[in-house]
Amino acid sequence: MTIGLAHLLTLAAMLFGIGMYGALSRKNAVHVMMSLELMANAVNINLVALSRFLTPDALTGQFFSVFSMVVSAAEIGLGLALVLAIYRRRRTVELDAIDELRG
Amino acid sequence: MADVWRLIPEFLVLGGALVALFAERARSDSRVSAGIAAAFAAAAAVAAAVIGPGGDLFGGQLSLDHIAVFARVAIGALATAWLLWVWGRGVTGERCAEAAALALFSVAGGMLMASARDLIVLYVSLELSTIPAYVLMGYRRDDARGLEGALKYFLLSMLTSLVMLYGLSFVFGISGSTSYGQISLGAAGPLGQVAFVLVLVGLFAKLSAAPFHYWTPDAYAGAQAGAVAYVSTVPKIAGVVALVRLVGAMAPNVAGASGVLVVAAVFSMVLGNLAAFPQSDVRRMMAYSGVAHTGYILLATGAGTAGGPAAVFYAVAYAVPSMAVMMLAEEEGPALDDLGGLASRRPAVAWASLAWLLSLVGIPPVVGFFGKLYLFTSAVRAGFIWPVLVAVAMSVVSAGYYFRLIRSAFLGQRKGAPVVERRTSAATAFVLITVIVLALGVLASPVLAFLGMRF
Repeated sequence: MTIGLAHLLTLAAMLFGIGMYGALSRKNAVHVMMSLELMANAVNINLVALSRFLTPDALTGQFFSVFSMVVSAAEIGLGLALVLAIYRRRRTVELDAIDELRG
Repeated sequence: MADVWRLIPEFLVLGGALVALFAERARSDSRVSAGIAAAFAAAAAVAAAVIGPGGDLFGGQLSLDHIAVFARVAIGALATAWLLWVWGRGVTGERCAEAAALALFSVAGGMLMASARDLIVLYVSLELSTIPAYVLMGYRRDDARGLEGALKYFLLSMLTSLVMLYGLSFVFGISGSTSYGQISLGAAGPLGQVAFVLVLVGLFAKLSAAPFHYWTPDAYAGAQAGAVAYVSTVPKIAGVVALVRLVGAMAPNVAGASGVLVVAAVFSMVLGNLAAFPQSDVRRMMAYSGVAHTGYILLATGAGTAGGPAAVFYAVAYAVPSMAVMMLAEEEGPALDDLGGLASRRPAVAWASLAWLLSLVGIPPVVGFFGKLYLFTSAVRAGFIWPVLVAVAMSVVSAGYYFRLIRSAFLGQRKGAPVVERRTSAATAFVLITVIVLALGVLASPVLAFLGMRF
């Protein structure tokens, strides 16, 4: 069996779904961020797979995924800084405990 | 690379950010950084106006059309007003240098986003304009409420931008290119529709349109009003331009594209205006009214390319007075009753705030009225009669809560009001904003003609 575009897109969709489920259901801010990273990697697989199978001559998808990796690394760094700052004040990073503000 | 000089405004802003960051080495007062940053932002706005429209740059990755020019000048001018105000007032409890630098980085992202015509450029500049906003929302390290608001904003914003990126990957896969000129989703059928909706999720969350607005009231009410004044306005202008361009590139062949936009528009208008009514905190009220104004803008984007100029113009018409109201909330206190007696304490500011609030309601002769007029005109032309009737009804509702602010300022009383120092630079910011509100009202039709609106 050769691995085709459909397999890779399915893998990406499954990873994206798992990440989305984690991001919406986890109570710990760090776990939520790990789930977000999973989603980001699913998107990268999607980009590279689409580029490899549909436009093999241009490396657009690969470039796109490199940019998206850099951006999500910067975002996660910032997010962890926010979590640390909250931990110093509150001694917890559980999102349920962070409920001083209510919509 | 002969086009590089057309990006002088972006270079000025980036250079200004670095200078502002280290300016306090020379002077011990960190407020001076904001003054320097304001000078750079003003220079960038002037440079953007002088350079003017210039067609496609870098093989079509950026496009300096009339809308991009208008958005760059507006972003530069608004950032100047905010930085001038920070120069006068400072940031409570923290240093100004980082806030000024972060704001300028976000301005650079916004200016690039306003001219982006490529998915990669769009994504990177979108993140460049929002990442500094997270920091500004949680700027005070000792304020747990602000940090909570910033964390919520961050988690929701990153989640939705990843959903958008997933959509963008499919848009790229379907079209085989990331350039707007080659995007065509029509041939892909349902997959094209899914990709379109996924991309819209990200943009709706950035613009706080229903149903992705839940983060806004919490995040705004937790942060300092002064930071919200920036975060809720400047990135929004760039976001609207990006939305107009992206919808223009993607929507034409997607079935039901304008339906999605109009439904979101109606939900945002109704929900935003009704939820703003009972609020007693100005930041929360302005958060919900921001949702409503995004709804008006979405109505025009649903009208397709013809509605683009009106949408971008209205984004500016909303952002300018709303920034001033948030600045006032920072100076006088965030509760609605804190404005009490403003007319006797600071008559000039009270009368200026009347102009801002009338503009937000949409009463002539200020800019908000003309913005709404052309917005609704282009929506009616596209055949959205019922949504426009809802929008007009909701504008009347919105007068109710904006007039509560006016009543508080002119008829209310307040004991123990804080004595707000007179600062020339903060006053200049208010004057600049009021002049824009009045002048754009007078110049509305030439500006819209410049943007390409057909009357």
